[in-house]
Amino acid sequence: MRKHLILLFIAVLMLAPRADAVSSEKGLMVKNVRFFSYAAFTRIVFELDAAAPYVVMKSDDGRSVTLSAYNGPLSATASMPAVRDGVVKTVELRQESSRSTIVLQLDAAAGEVKDFVLRGPDRIVLDVMKGAGAAPTVQAERRKLIVLDPGHGGGKDAGLVTAQGQEKAMTLELAVAIKRQLLKKNAELAVILTRERDQTLSLDDRAGVANAAGAVLFVSLHAALGAGSRVYIVDPDEGPLATAPAAHKTFLDFDAGNEQQERVWGSQQASHTKASGELGRRLALQLGMPGGEPVQAPLAGLKAVDAAAVVVEVGMGQDRSWVAETVAEGIASYVRENR
Amino acid sequence: MSERIDRKIPGDWLLTVVAVALAAVLCIGGVLWWRMRAAPPATNAAQQPATAAQRLNEPLVITLSVPVDGLLVAVQAPVTRQPDTQSLARESLAALFADPTGSKAPVLKDLRLRGVYLDAVGTCYIDLAPVEQREVRASVWEELIALYAMVNTLSQNFEEIRQVRFLVDGREVQTLAGHIELSRKFTKRMDLVKQ
Repeated sequence: MRKHLILLFIAVLMLAPRADAVSSEKGLMVKNVRFFSYAAFTRIVFELDAAAPYVVMKSDDGRSVTLSAYNGPLSATASMPAVRDGVVKTVELRQESSRSTIVLQLDAAAGEVKDFVLRGPDRIVLDVMKGAGAAPTVQAERRKLIVLDPGHGGGKDAGLVTAQGQEKAMTLELAVAIKRQLLKKNAELAVILTRERDQTLSLDDRAGVANAAGAVLFVSLHAALGAGSRVYIVDPDEGPLATAPAAHKTFLDFDAGNEQQERVWGSQQASHTKASGELGRRLALQLGMPGGEPVQAPLAGLKAVDAAAVVVEVGMGQDRSWVAETVAEGIASYVRENR
Repeated sequence: MSERIDRKIPGDWLLTVVAVALAAVLCIGGVLWWRMRAAPPATNAAQQPATAAQRLNEPLVITLSVPVDGLLVAVQAPVTRQPDTQSLARESLAALFADPTGSKAPVLKDLRLRGVYLDAVGTCYIDLAPVEQREVRASVWEELIALYAMVNTLSQNFEEIRQVRFLVDGREVQTLAGHIELSRKFTKRMDLVKQ
């Protein structure tokens, strides 16, 4: 298999002081791996123990990208995420003979790969752009995309566990029921779920799914004890950075715009405050919340969602088919009035 | 022939009286000075620590924000006086965690207080730890109420505390139970308090 050498960063050694030279002998130590799904690309960030030269190679068939240390071994204390956003499938740590590498398995929509480094902390950033093979978005088909997010899931996060069952199962069941109701009566809508089965997804994964798919509306489903529902929106005080971070050059003079884009992650919801408030009020009224006003809270699962977004917390004692029908009707009427 | 003339000094009697009076004043002054030097400090030394100890032992009544039936309720509680705000803030949160209702409230019952730190700009860091490594399971509302029980307890009692941040095992974490973002500063919320 012919491989293309994309970039070799020996400049790190030349520019960095002695500590970096020492670390280069030790190879690459990856402390943390994060990913961010944007409309045009997926960003994978490898946080390092210290800057060191590295090699990025794309396979001949373009289906994988390999990251390895230029000198010495590569090791990782971080767990590797399953991205699955249509651009990147997985990030894996592989042991080949005596050498470890990190392999990105690319999906059908993946195109060109760009890499660069950032300091403070030292990071290697890979941007996988959406290529020509990207599937047409739902928006392109002129169908409004609704993303339903069944809260919790996976082996470690069951949510509330009660005699009535586990929250993770209840939210999935409810999401499926809402989807069914929405599609039954609204041909102009498309609906996807952030998870279709019992699987672990981080809060950023869920927001990433919605952002990458171009959702117009995001409803995260949760459950509580009791027989009443509550609707939540992000606290408007949780706005974007008061002043955009000043552009600054990285140590290799790379465009700092990318760094800014990463910093913006987590503040996308701030530009949808009004829309989220309207959606929240509509659902709160229909679900019979006292006062008809959504609760404002610093919700970790919504702050990175680039669309109108709410959390609906359903009472475990409530009639679930009624809840599904009511939420679906609220969503549909909101979309109709906000074409 | 010489003539001896013995003359009585005029006012001799008066001088004697003045000398005796002066001696008496000096004696009395000396005695008083000696008593002021020795006796009064001995009295103060005996009295002052007793006053300070009494003051330290006298409990300070603070207002806790305790989760009751899904809202925060103000409850008066005595806490031991402390020499500084940081220690007193810690005592106050300890009282919240020990409160008969607070100790059974969702989220709070799964946590213990590791430490409280107050920085120079009025940010108070509450360092929490799960009890026996137990997972914190709660609804969105329960998580919100538990966090603001701590925030309001500190903000309402100490004007030096302007905002609150949370740590778990000494580190910043995203959430406690999967819902409420902890990587931000919290200020008191009165809309969660039962009117």
